[in-house]
Amino acid sequence: MDIDDILADVGRDSIPQETRDLQALTRVWVAERVSPEILAYPEALLDRTMERIRRQIEHVEMQTGNMDPKTNFRLIVVQTELERFKFLVRSFLRARIAKITRGVFLSCFSVGGERSCLSARRACQIDKHALHILTTPAVRERLSTPELQYLTQHHALQHAHFLSSFLRNFPAQLQRLDDTAGGISMIDSPDLDTAVFVRVLRDVEEPLVIAGTDASVVLKRGDVWVVRYSVVSELVAEGDVELI
Amino acid sequence: MEMVTVVPRQRLEGLELLGGPTVPLHPPHRASLPLWLALLLKRQRRANILPPPWFHPTALTSILDIERNKTDQFSPPPPLPPPATGEATTSPPFLLSSTADAPDGALPYHWLELGEILLDAAPDDVVDPDTVRRLMRDLREIRMAKIRAGVVVLDGSGMVGLKGVGGMEVGEGRAFISGVVDGLRKIGTSREQALREREVEEGDDAYDPVENGDEMDL
Repeated sequence: MDIDDILADVGRDSIPQETRDLQALTRVWVAERVSPEILAYPEALLDRTMERIRRQIEHVEMQTGNMDPKTNFRLIVVQTELERFKFLVRSFLRARIAKITRGVFLSCFSVGGERSCLSARRACQIDKHALHILTTPAVRERLSTPELQYLTQHHALQHAHFLSSFLRNFPAQLQRLDDTAGGISMIDSPDLDTAVFVRVLRDVEEPLVIAGTDASVVLKRGDVWVVRYSVVSELVAEGDVELI
Repeated sequence: MEMVTVVPRQRLEGLELLGGPTVPLHPPHRASLPLWLALLLKRQRRANILPPPWFHPTALTSILDIERNKTDQFSPPPPLPPPATGEATTSPPFLLSSTADAPDGALPYHWLELGEILLDAAPDDVVDPDTVRRLMRDLREIRMAKIRAGVVVLDGSGMVGLKGVGGMEVGEGRAFISGVVDGLRKIGTSREQALREREVEEGDDAYDPVENGDEMDL
């Protein structure tokens, strides 16, 4: 450990927990918005943030009605920041829900009769990631309890709706939405090879190699790369690189 | 939460905010505040914003020179603080890259956004705003041209270095660059699959990945 490390340690300890949490929240928000798959739910972080937001709202409620202009201005600042935080949390959760049920509004257009074939094909595409999440335990564990509840109920409702509007007219063997027969799986999973932008936070000693191509790079702190999500997903989880 | 330096005109006690406490303001002492709060105070004429050193005509001119001389890469980003050993590693927008004591020879990640905001909200605090505005436009155009020129080296492997790129530039180029890389990858899937199988046959040790010469290093 040299002097730089000691300085870094001192510097980090002087940063309050709130600021570190804000940074962590910003990072998971950006990551969730750009990563092709759903990421692990940061439960402790969200719990702390929600608790702080709750306390701050209480504080604002207690202070409202105080007509002293000085307190009033401070309250404006506090409320402005509160709204910023709420936006961050809301946008983060929305990004996750969007991945859970992607393109769900398409189902509004499904009609019966001769177009049912088309709507059925669409229907299979609609809930693409919902089934993937439900059927893959490793991915399923990343959801929070309310998210899992939402996903299960949403899926049940949607399935019931499809069944009553057009699926019941189909032959029995074609009614399933999670058919994997015939070599083609109806369960669509996210494309983990999608290109993403990453920033390297810590030097990575092993050069990054993609099997099947002759590309190989060494990740140095501060670098920005465009890479396939699949080759960096572990580094993202460990915090060596961040998605931008 | 980008931090900027302000010169307050009014006293304001420290506030316990959700993102950490703010420092108490005592005119005429300088203080570092989050950008949004500085803008709020600026609009109400309660404080003046001290523009970061890189947002000065001379600094921007020298950065523009670097951009002109290095045709294949961006000007280097500001130096990073020593790497943290623990879990926390600071990155933009939490680096102190836009306070009054920030380095002056490099554009931070959010240079474009911050510059536009400052020119919009606090033109009276910026030194020679018209020249700065012109230099910002020049920088933007020269960097945009580099991104466009870099498209020719994109390939299916999707390994492109963009050190020094700005946040806004990532946002603008994201759809196009990732679209091209994904498209090329899909075209090259079978070739890649064949190569991968050959590697497995030859054994992992026998294959030595050649350093790819045409990686783009903007």
